[in-house]
Amino acid sequence: MFNRRNFLKFGAASAATVSVAGLSLNAKAAKDLPIRGNRDFSPITGKERKMIPSACWQCVTRCANVGFVEDGKLVKIEPNVNSIRTEGTLCAKGQAAVNHTYDPDRILHPMRRVGKRGEGKWKRISWDEALTEVAARMKKNKDAGTPEKVVYHYGRAKASHSKTVGGFFKAYGTGSIGNHTSICEGGKWSAQELTWGGHFDNWDFDNTKFVLNFGSNFLETHTNHIPVAHRMLWAMADRGVEMVTFDVRLSNTAAKSREWIAPKPGTDTAIILAMINVVMEEGLYKGDGEDMLQYTKVTENDDATVSQKIAAIKKHVKDYTPAWAEKISGVSASKITSLAKEFATKKPAVLVSYRGLVAHYNGNEGERACQLLCAVTGQIDKEGCRMKAVGAGWNFPKIKSAKKTPKLDIFDGFPGQAAYPTHHVSHQVLKMIKDGSNGRPDMYITYCYTPAYANGDVQENIDILKDEKLIPFYVSVDPFYGDSTMYADLILPDTPFTERWTCEDMVSPSRVAEFYIRQPFTKPMGEARDFSDVVFDLGKRLGIDMGEASSHEEYVKLSCNNTPGVKEAGGFEYMKKVGVWHDKNAKPQGSVYKTPIPSSVYKAKGVVLDKESGVYWKPKNSSDAKKGYRATKKAFKKYVAQQMPHGVFSGFAPDAVNKSGYLELWSPLLKMKGFDPMPTWMAIPEHQKMSKDDLYMTTYKVATHSHSRTMNCKWLAETYHSNPALINPSTAKTRGIYEGDSIKVKSDTGEFVTKAKLTESIRPGVIAVSHHCGHWAYGRYASDKRAPNEGSDNRGDKDYKLKWWTDNGVHPNWAIANSPDPINGQQRWMDTVVKVTRV
Amino acid sequence: MNSNSDPKINRRDLLKGIGKGSALVTIVAAAPSVVHAKEKKVRYGMVIDVRRCSGCQACSIACKSEFDVPLGGVRSWVEHHEAGVYPKMERRMMPRLCNHCSEPPCVDACPENGPDHKAQGATYKRDDGIVVVDETKCIGCAKCVDACPYDARFMNPFKGDPKLTKGNGSADKCDFCLHRISQGVAPSCVNTCPGRARIFGDLNDPSSEIAKLVAEFDTTVLRRDKKTKPSVMYIGADWIESKRDKKANQFSRVDTHRKEMSSTRFS
Repeated sequence: MFNRRNFLKFGAASAATVSVAGLSLNAKAAKDLPIRGNRDFSPITGKERKMIPSACWQCVTRCANVGFVEDGKLVKIEPNVNSIRTEGTLCAKGQAAVNHTYDPDRILHPMRRVGKRGEGKWKRISWDEALTEVAARMKKNKDAGTPEKVVYHYGRAKASHSKTVGGFFKAYGTGSIGNHTSICEGGKWSAQELTWGGHFDNWDFDNTKFVLNFGSNFLETHTNHIPVAHRMLWAMADRGVEMVTFDVRLSNTAAKSREWIAPKPGTDTAIILAMINVVMEEGLYKGDGEDMLQYTKVTENDDATVSQKIAAIKKHVKDYTPAWAEKISGVSASKITSLAKEFATKKPAVLVSYRGLVAHYNGNEGERACQLLCAVTGQIDKEGCRMKAVGAGWNFPKIKSAKKTPKLDIFDGFPGQAAYPTHHVSHQVLKMIKDGSNGRPDMYITYCYTPAYANGDVQENIDILKDEKLIPFYVSVDPFYGDSTMYADLILPDTPFTERWTCEDMVSPSRVAEFYIRQPFTKPMGEARDFSDVVFDLGKRLGIDMGEASSHEEYVKLSCNNTPGVKEAGGFEYMKKVGVWHDKNAKPQGSVYKTPIPSSVYKAKGVVLDKESGVYWKPKNSSDAKKGYRATKKAFKKYVAQQMPHGVFSGFAPDAVNKSGYLELWSPLLKMKGFDPMPTWMAIPEHQKMSKDDLYMTTYKVATHSHSRTMNCKWLAETYHSNPALINPSTAKTRGIYEGDSIKVKSDTGEFVTKAKLTESIRPGVIAVSHHCGHWAYGRYASDKRAPNEGSDNRGDKDYKLKWWTDNGVHPNWAIANSPDPINGQQRWMDTVVKVTRV
Repeated sequence: MNSNSDPKINRRDLLKGIGKGSALVTIVAAAPSVVHAKEKKVRYGMVIDVRRCSGCQACSIACKSEFDVPLGGVRSWVEHHEAGVYPKMERRMMPRLCNHCSEPPCVDACPENGPDHKAQGATYKRDDGIVVVDETKCIGCAKCVDACPYDARFMNPFKGDPKLTKGNGSADKCDFCLHRISQGVAPSCVNTCPGRARIFGDLNDPSSEIAKLVAEFDTTVLRRDKKTKPSVMYIGADWIESKRDKKANQFSRVDTHRKEMSSTRFS
């Protein structure tokens, strides 16, 4: 028992010189406050908690973090103050990951289905039984010459997780590997790959003077959330940097902006094109823009001079006037004009874009238009502007692929659906399995992925997952009893990320790469096993050579000890202690495209000039050389340099398609597929046919949740659990809808009933329904439904009986079609047309 | 500023009768502070620069996990205040916590302090300005919860001596992370805040960051009319004290994740 006398003893024994009693005496302690983190103490006993550096996984940002362990239990997660990406900050989601570890609905043993699919009847089995079954299925398909019928579909697998798990399936011999990026922002990445080569744009808020934002709520949620969000907040407060945000809804990002502008949904592209028109008409391209145009392809002819390029752009955007864009978007011509001028003159400025722009039918063109606006104002890959991404390049141990890795052609959409789906069309995978034309899996394995919940058209997803004729065997690797996992035949209990090893590599906004690792805070609970460990076990069973390592921990150890820089810092032991490493002497990267390439490189043996594209490349053989760069499959991998009228440069190197080394805005690749080669306005077909009665429905995310995977975290669920439809009072009034009314939202795909939340913070004529909510499984905090066979056990969780809300929200995806952008396959989250009526 | 959507429900009722206390003794309870005459008195406070706040709730969750605060209980939270008419809308963020008042009504309300505050009861103000709760002395009457003009307190069903509290649990609230600051480490919410909107320190030390901010910027306190003299001050929140949100035909709403504190008004 702890009493005052004990307390005084504790005070004396404490390593720190300041006891609580002496707090107000110690002037030094007061002066030193606040010393930031990486230390924590129990509020009950005062004992220091054990600190373990690791990394988050709540969203794809994967911030470095530290966990605190008390009596073997993870009690707290904080930012790692040594991270150059987060600069010692962390979001709500990251901190609530403690709830993942102790979710009373975690699956702790492998389970085999015994009832009908989705019925919830399970038998606990051993890992040996489970893996014997999986290995047998894999062997059967290998022996039958159909390894492609083993389909591995992941939601998030990055860095060393991607290398080991993906590596395992490739070593086995299946190329049937799917992801989920098309329901995130894959379309934005594809558009970038068509223009500046690699995917990802890094917004240099540290050095910018102005931010123009089309449809990104990055202060609340983003693929590099905290690393960019905190920098923008600091830039706003410390340097007075202003932002203007286009969004149909007043997001918190819009609320923090100087101006919030709500265009008609799906019309941002018209506004951006009109801004380019203003820049060209007003001559604001002079100087930086002209310089940039030397590296930019905006004409068919690569010999074009800068003035010919200017003339070509002017001609292309001639009709995209601000007055034209006003008619389409509802945003005034004068506003478009003044913002275009501000963006072009308040240099350096960042152009931000995200799902509000790209998750539409015309999203590819929206992103390409952004690249063009940045190009003509000379604000590409330059300090203070939108820049290319810099992430960590680990030296990973190799896992050799099988000689042949055939695949089922089900990951890129139906024929003709998407021209360049470089990040795949994951939302069509189940539909294509149902269709069957390109084959069906014998075994469908999902990892960190919930196809039924995460995609549109929920009912169809469930119907397909339930159909044993379409999917004979479904294995879900999941720490929790998820909304898709409940339809599985076999559940392999994964560890939450709090119990895993990983090498991590996410983009650093400071443009100096950060190397960091994830290590377990606590041992895996029950019989849960990290799938990236399990694959080493499966490898042994199947006689697959998994390379040097025999566990994921070992893989991480080898990576740390073999990666230059990390190795010299102390390798694995250093990383376990500190968690993060960066090269303190490294200069921030930028403007790599301007690097002249010496003739010794482009005249080296095997390098040839492709006359059509001006690309120096290294064709594999003479037949490829004859076919030419653009026509050769995966020729981009052999890119060396770009011939330009003013020299040979490293250029904007291709990364996914056979583009040239120019910032390619006149795209021969798009022309080949029948699209306008220049960024062009494409009206959204469904929006042209709307009746007076119809509303646009858009979706959004809030700061406290990821799309599908956080509602089991009780602290986050308490903060945000119900998601009534946002509707402007004027729109509600004409439908007789009042605050809190039940409303039916109906589309061609489906319908749902939710509550109305009347707010002036949304454009009239639009309703917005967030993701995150409306789970039908995923444990008691998400759905009030417990996991089967282990659900009676609270596992020491004191809180469920205190759950004070009964409304767990509604999932909008029941009424959203799975529908791809015709160029890149991006899921069109924001194009849905609905009828809304009072119930 | 806030109005209860359902006046019949308060936090005391919400948590009444749920759970029994476990941890009975806290450092706070065991460590009344002492001030030597020679030293200049420390007055701990917090400045919240709402210009730097995006309403992300990182602070709310940092607090929740630091103290394993039970569902329904809140020591630190963020309100979103919306006002205006489309398209001229504003949403301002309002991080909230105990104001560590210089004249704390909660201390006056605590029956354990005795009529003239001679006894050091269950809730009292330390000499360094931090208002604390001694859960070992709390009788669970919740008078302090009702007395607080800032809704900063709640009844924690897992705290207090069940015999004393009659199962109501102990009053609970922010203590500026006394257990961390006593070790020279920033409060949990301050530590995690992405915008660095929360600045903690000694208001009486002119060289401290917080004192410099207070000297440089106009600051606002909540509910000045209550004459509580808070040690929590806001930068960039002058709208709190202005009347402009109360214009006719103007939409206004306060959103929080605290069930009993959300309201919508059309005036």
